[in-house]
Amino acid sequence: MVYLHTALNQQFPPADLPGAVRAVLGKPLRRAAGLTQLALLGAFACLPEERRHLPTALLWQSTSGPRLETITLLEEICTSAAEPMPYDFLATQPAIAAAQIQPMLPGLHSAMHIPLDSEKVANWSLLLNLAIEWLNEERYAQVLCAQLDLWPDSASGHWLCVGAEPLENSLASLQIATEPSQEAQADTPDVPARLADWLNHGKTASLSLHSPAAPRLAVEFTRL
Amino acid sequence: MKRPVYIADSGLLCARGETKAAVAAALWRGESGTGKRHLGEREFPYFALPLTEEDWLQRAEQAIDQVACQLEAIVPATPLFIASSSFQIGHFEQQGAPFDLPLATASLSRKIAEWMGLSGPRYSFSNACISGFSAIDAATTLIAAGQIDEAVVLGFELDNDTTLAGFASMELLSRTSCRPFDLRRDGLVLGEAVAAVRLSAKPGRWKITGLRTGLDGYSTTGPDPNGGPIANTAIASLKAANVGPAEIDLVKLQAAGSPGTDLAEANALHKIFGTEIPPLLSLKPALGHTLGASGIAELAALLACLDAGIIPATAGFAEADSELGLMPITHRNHDPVRRAMLNLIGFGGGLATMIVERT
Repeated sequence: MVYLHTALNQQFPPADLPGAVRAVLGKPLRRAAGLTQLALLGAFACLPEERRHLPTALLWQSTSGPRLETITLLEEICTSAAEPMPYDFLATQPAIAAAQIQPMLPGLHSAMHIPLDSEKVANWSLLLNLAIEWLNEERYAQVLCAQLDLWPDSASGHWLCVGAEPLENSLASLQIATEPSQEAQADTPDVPARLADWLNHGKTASLSLHSPAAPRLAVEFTRL
Repeated sequence: MKRPVYIADSGLLCARGETKAAVAAALWRGESGTGKRHLGEREFPYFALPLTEEDWLQRAEQAIDQVACQLEAIVPATPLFIASSSFQIGHFEQQGAPFDLPLATASLSRKIAEWMGLSGPRYSFSNACISGFSAIDAATTLIAAGQIDEAVVLGFELDNDTTLAGFASMELLSRTSCRPFDLRRDGLVLGEAVAAVRLSAKPGRWKITGLRTGLDGYSTTGPDPNGGPIANTAIASLKAANVGPAEIDLVKLQAAGSPGTDLAEANALHKIFGTEIPPLLSLKPALGHTLGASGIAELAALLACLDAGIIPATAGFAEADSELGLMPITHRNHDPVRRAMLNLIGFGGGLATMIVERT
């Protein structure tokens, strides 16, 4: 069995990200792009200090990716003959986010970045299916699943933390559903918000999620 | 349910040839010639695809077509897993300023699916140099669990100035050639590739028996020189495959000729294998470092060689580095290989090791 420990949503004005990181760490995170800062803020909010050393995987998807940084780099490269500043290139590489936050999350063993190819569609069903399989085969003790986006006027992180063992405050159990429910939730970026709403206000015992594009990857959440 | 996962088929287009058989033959002949790319006043060796089309998108479509047609007929609903570091950034460069990027960062994946005639689920992976194995890991997990039966995993990396300039700005590129594990190695040489593997629950010639990814937060641009995290990832992969180090007949190295990363990989190999080091092979002196496509391109090239009963020599290696204490294969041979280990060490801290076994 796999358990949902956290479902949370974070929103920041992009300019506030460095301050939010400093408030959490007690120091700035040097040379960290916006997506890295979002990853750190969400991971810290999901994992209390005593769970940050446990074997953890981070599976994160993004619609925006490092869009703003990529435009900056393209302008630098295409409009001047000079080579770019190294940091400007590093900021366009989403894969480095996990390496940059690993010193603060020593249990972070692996990370996978899944850029999205369409707006308003997400791959939570893929992330959760991988998380369930990997937790069941004891690769990790917990898996952080996230959608991180950085736009000119908003920065958002939607997070689900799932683990192999129930915690005192676990929110639900989840399992792969072989038959998606007729009332299944669509796979969109705001799944954690809808899940939190169901947990707080919903009347049904279970809620299922499935992507119409991949019906065999349906996931069912059940209240504990 | 845990099912074995097989590599049923593959296709490859890279600087060494337009089919996997052509690439295997070129590797056997020891071909390793490069073209040149200019960046400002500097010149770098570069492994370009043998395509003449100049429009970036049309060239991409042509490259995808050439790989797709090497695969046996694919059911249109087959899930597609796409791995790339740079996706369509070369297209944006060609369009020029003002840069109007699509809102969804991997929007090219929709076009790739269309070009391949695939209408099933699409998933994109961008984890720098380990992107290909991340994609294979996800597809393999779903096939093993019985949630999908087949998958096409495509690695895609095409020419662009951004990547070249970015790596050049960090002084990671060689100005001469790729010399893995060599005393005079001085950096990596970039290249293009498009490659695909079809994974299946149905038995095929090769089985994926272990695949694990890891993370090395030592630095964003290079691994822990001690090699500890690399070794841990490889050992986890061996454990997943339920085999010991002595049962590995060949290691396909990451070995891109980077001074620091080659050292870290060599130290990791000492930790994994002790004094019984299996034959070591780097394909990068012949293919270039094809970044997000490298995992799948090198897998396809390696299996094409092994299926042909050949192990090529590692081009570019001349003089051993005593600090590494290891050297790659310098004489091509026909030694039998039942089980091979493939290593990837990614820019940005990603690590991956896969074990494949002949059925």
